[in-house]
Amino acid sequence: MSDTEKAKVLVLTGDGINCEQETAQAFRMAGFGAEIRHLNDVIAERMRLEDLCRRYSVLALPGGFSFGDDLTSGKVLGLKLSHQLNWDLNVYASRGGLVLGICNGFQALIRMGLFGKEVSITSNVHGKFLDTWVKVTPRGSQCVWLKGLGSLDLPIRHGEGRIVIAPTRKSEVLGKMQRFGMDCLQYEGDPNGSDERLAGLCDLTGRIFGLMPHPEAYVRWTSHPEWTQQPGRASAPGQGLAVFENAYKEAINAK
Amino acid sequence: MFARFEVAVRPEFSDPHVQSILRKIQMVHPAIAEKVRWGRLMDVCWIEFSGPREDLIRAATEIFYDRVLQWMFSGNLIPSATGKHGGMLDIMEAAPNRPGKFWALERRFRGGVTDNVARTAAEAFEIVLGKKLPDCRYASGAMLLLEGDKLTEDDLALIARDVFCNELIETWTVIPESELKNNNRFHQERIKGDLPKVLFRGSEAVDTVDLSGLSDTELQELSSRKLWALSLEEMRAVRDHFNRSEVVERRKALGLEGLTDVEIEVIAQTWSEHCKHKIFGAKVNYSETSADRAEGESSIPSEIDSLFKTTIAGTTRELSRPWLLSVFSDNAGIVAFDDDDAFCIKVETHNSPSALDPYGGALTGIVGVNRDILGCGLGAKPIFNTDVFCVAPLDHREPLPDRLLHPRRILEGVRRGVEHGGNKSGIPTVNGALVFDERYLGKPLVYCGTGGFMPRMIAGRPCETKEIQSGDRIVVIGGRVGKDGIHGATFSSLALDESSPVSAVQLGDPITQKRVADFILEARDQGLYRAVTDNGAGGLSSSVGELAQLSGGARMDVSRCKLKYPGLRPFEIVVSESQERMTLAVPHEKLNSFLELAERRGVETSELGEFTNSGQLEILYREKLIASLDLEFLHNGVPRLELTAQWPGRPKAPVASGTGGGANSYEAQAAATLIGLMARPNIASKEWLIRQYDHEVQGTSVIKPLHTVNPGTADASSGPNDGAVLKPKLNSDSGLVVGCGINPKLSDVDPYLMAQSAVDEAVRNVLCAGADFGRADSVLALCDNFCWPDPVKDPAKMAALVRACYGMRSAALALSAPLVSGKDSMKNDFRGKLRGQPVTISVPPTLLMTAVAKISDIRLSLTSDFKRPGDLIYLLGSDSFGLWGSEVMATNSNLGYVPMRVAEPDWNLARKVYSWLGGAMGRERSKLRSLHDVSDGGLMVAVAECLIARGYGAQITLPPGRDPWEASFGEGFHAFVASASEADAFNMEAEWMALEVPFVHLGVVTSSDRLEVTTASGAAQSARWSTSIKQVRSAWRKSGYWE
Repeated sequence: MSDTEKAKVLVLTGDGINCEQETAQAFRMAGFGAEIRHLNDVIAERMRLEDLCRRYSVLALPGGFSFGDDLTSGKVLGLKLSHQLNWDLNVYASRGGLVLGICNGFQALIRMGLFGKEVSITSNVHGKFLDTWVKVTPRGSQCVWLKGLGSLDLPIRHGEGRIVIAPTRKSEVLGKMQRFGMDCLQYEGDPNGSDERLAGLCDLTGRIFGLMPHPEAYVRWTSHPEWTQQPGRASAPGQGLAVFENAYKEAINAK
Repeated sequence: MFARFEVAVRPEFSDPHVQSILRKIQMVHPAIAEKVRWGRLMDVCWIEFSGPREDLIRAATEIFYDRVLQWMFSGNLIPSATGKHGGMLDIMEAAPNRPGKFWALERRFRGGVTDNVARTAAEAFEIVLGKKLPDCRYASGAMLLLEGDKLTEDDLALIARDVFCNELIETWTVIPESELKNNNRFHQERIKGDLPKVLFRGSEAVDTVDLSGLSDTELQELSSRKLWALSLEEMRAVRDHFNRSEVVERRKALGLEGLTDVEIEVIAQTWSEHCKHKIFGAKVNYSETSADRAEGESSIPSEIDSLFKTTIAGTTRELSRPWLLSVFSDNAGIVAFDDDDAFCIKVETHNSPSALDPYGGALTGIVGVNRDILGCGLGAKPIFNTDVFCVAPLDHREPLPDRLLHPRRILEGVRRGVEHGGNKSGIPTVNGALVFDERYLGKPLVYCGTGGFMPRMIAGRPCETKEIQSGDRIVVIGGRVGKDGIHGATFSSLALDESSPVSAVQLGDPITQKRVADFILEARDQGLYRAVTDNGAGGLSSSVGELAQLSGGARMDVSRCKLKYPGLRPFEIVVSESQERMTLAVPHEKLNSFLELAERRGVETSELGEFTNSGQLEILYREKLIASLDLEFLHNGVPRLELTAQWPGRPKAPVASGTGGGANSYEAQAAATLIGLMARPNIASKEWLIRQYDHEVQGTSVIKPLHTVNPGTADASSGPNDGAVLKPKLNSDSGLVVGCGINPKLSDVDPYLMAQSAVDEAVRNVLCAGADFGRADSVLALCDNFCWPDPVKDPAKMAALVRACYGMRSAALALSAPLVSGKDSMKNDFRGKLRGQPVTISVPPTLLMTAVAKISDIRLSLTSDFKRPGDLIYLLGSDSFGLWGSEVMATNSNLGYVPMRVAEPDWNLARKVYSWLGGAMGRERSKLRSLHDVSDGGLMVAVAECLIARGYGAQITLPPGRDPWEASFGEGFHAFVASASEADAFNMEAEWMALEVPFVHLGVVTSSDRLEVTTASGAAQSARWSTSIKQVRSAWRKSGYWE
């Protein structure tokens, strides 16, 4: 398939986003054509939601430190997306689009209210930035990005990964999330104090997905901290790749 | 109108930031910490807003307020964003003790200090309101709310000074409870007063300096008062140059009468030790009082014509590797990675700024060295950072000399600076070290390194090209110019004392720099500029002054510089070291595209003038000439230093005071000694530090700083690795290996050995991770960083420098590893007062070697942990260890060993072992299961480190014919602990024998929890001891020592 025919991903960058290269690469390994574009160029081009729908199967917000996380993580990036692009991502999803927010991109999606107004994200409970590998388990079958996947080993690298739900409405909100399968990814351990050990969330359609761990950082086995225990598998792919492959299957079906 | 916003985490949630501050108070003032019952940390923002009130309310609510998490107080501005009472009372009612007794400590930046949060707030307001708001002002700060009925105002002041604020860049106010309850701080006039002002009543005047009539004393006095750091000889050289009749006449014709302050400042920056490396360029007379030399030491000449030329550049020239693309002529050495790509490496030090403001110093250190890489060749992408910190022990309890910060504060600030600098820039921090010695109290050493990667051909030109044509435009991009960092280069060329200037301190802005970095790489690939370099020490005077040499001149009008605030004098604009700036030469025809792309990327530009071929550096201000400096004089006119170096010989080997006899005392004490060593700060786990750095961003990670067993589970457990491996290219299995070596302890024995040891350790560290060595296609490059106590007028310290240089040279030659880049810092002394008495603290001579090597197939990378029970354990390489200068010597004087000796290198042996490990000979290397070098703490510490993560045990028999103390805990050269499966062992041993690779079969990995050690049978007295690995692990993880 030529590049022009491939299902396409728009990977946004600029303003302190810094995982755009490896994120684009993971999508390419899964079969996509990935374009890394500067947010300012997309804004200057006045790309409308219709253009986004027509041109791209996936919108990806990679990890990074957008605007230095100076006014809490992902905040100003979320404001910039809301005010200067003004895309209704729920409409994008309903028309077959897929959205992925990883780490800082996930934080921005949360700030934009895509997982509800009662959800927020804040400093890890221990107050420190943490780079470590975690085990996460998908829950339910709502999230198309996690379809059919079992437990995954992935790295986390964040200082603000504690997902919190408004205490006054906690049980109600959690109940809704569980009912609709929005609480789609959980840590097996407790690396940051997240409510319900939440590592990732999806929207009601399961097509908008955000997570704190970095699936793009585990697309080859040699990224895993224990790979030298099994050097014979050194050429094997990593478990994170499956997330992108799921999206590819979904995008092809949607086409 | 003015507004103040206070944001607090709702009481239902824990507040990790206040917990962290409370932990720090606990460490510094435990008695005060006892009195604190509860706390909250609130963010504060002050705003002068020039628009409708509704706009302010709408934007502020969107920007600052998170309904789920926070309360926001704004006086009466936005009632809906508050709790029940709409203010501090809500928080007070939520505190566990009611009614409690509250205090608050408010922290604000001083005028002119970089305020990143305010800068982001400004952008956020413009985004939300959809328009430029040039007349608005913003400032950020914090308020620490503490509750405790016994707390006093004095306690708060101590917390402010020792924990919460750095008074160089911040001011603080104690607010009592009564004031907190009323809302006076939200009043318009009050906010107006609280917004920091920068109203420098500076003039645009250019002064002239008349040196002609000055006596020697007056010249020296003037240089020191103006912080020029020029010596008497240098002042005389300047005076004489500007007295020459042809210079006077030429200048008269240009309308320049006397020497301008701009000119002398430019000369002072250019000639500073920091920029010019005069000590490394000096003529040195070297002599030795005692004849004893290191074994195999080639004699050091008595007359040395520049240590740099002979021992550094000379070494690299002798080795002349085809893959060296550019060395010593650029910001960083450039090395071919393969036919298509190149890498570059640079390590910097940022010691003096880090002593004054550890956070800002280290942050600017790391983003500064990133810029070296961005400005290397045609511009490289930073792909990894390294960090090495040398500080005094954190449990330092003696009183501190005036103005020095406690090492705990230094390390915490430095750590946070590198965390923010590296993580926010998206560059993985993959390698480093932490070294403790009492003598780093006066000046901590903060080494920040960066590696870069770039295509070998960029827009039709080789990546290492550095050329400028006359007529190319001078464009400065990135941050604006302020008073920050004025005289940084000259300041770092002086000893630290009580009067060191506050303007030397700067804060970095990683996001502005990230935008600059992204922009440069994009502009580079489009061929939009001809040359690039960074603005570091010396600011414009250095960056333009150096680039001007490429075309033969430059002419710029510095009034065209974008400023942070008005009131800068022209000379200040020229020498300011304001951060995040790069200087570029842009061809005329590309200028519009260049500026247009910068605008789209949110990068500010100042077009200052053009490069010329006039032979002059000409500086104008509002079109009036204020400096015209002959480039030849500027760059080559500095008088050469002549230095004397006299080596008094090695000190006498210490005699251990112990009474115990050899093996008996060993058997009784070895286990406790091992546990003690594992907890030594130089050896203990650095996991607390490593995990606060992102070491995996960019997706290239292959071997990480730690190996981790059962990752992601409650049983996760990590141990140390030696070097890092990265896979920089998607479509190639070749990788880069990074490691470092540093061993200042040996400086007390002989700096020659110290330097050899640093080179050997750096090389062993990359070998452990899998680096190629000795093959036709091997690539192994070294980077040297000397941090010395001032050797000028101190022949012994100068001799130490000479010996270290020659030691480094001998090791680099022996291992065929060229030096591609380096930096020196020569004034690492503190002169101050302790309880009114003068005190001087000098760092031990410290050389950091960083090694970067290629690994042809990353699938052959190794980690240090033993992989399986039943695997055989070997000591590979040298088995000659000494106790002198070792870690164990510092912990245990009761070794019963008289006198101590020091191990010497054996480079013939080293080459055999390293060539086998590096894949140059033999076929069995790929069957190694683990590899770890023997360094601090010796063989038993190395074995323990291989066991820690998995919790396996081992049965070890020490090599025969050696004293057990030396064999267990002695330190030396060329030694590794390796493991392999029993099935592979026979062939491997046969190959080692055939290839004369020395090895000792030490024992076997067991599934028990115990490390069991016996001395070789047949020894006069055999000894046997064992210890639990769980105990070893918990000693190594030593908690409570650091945050």
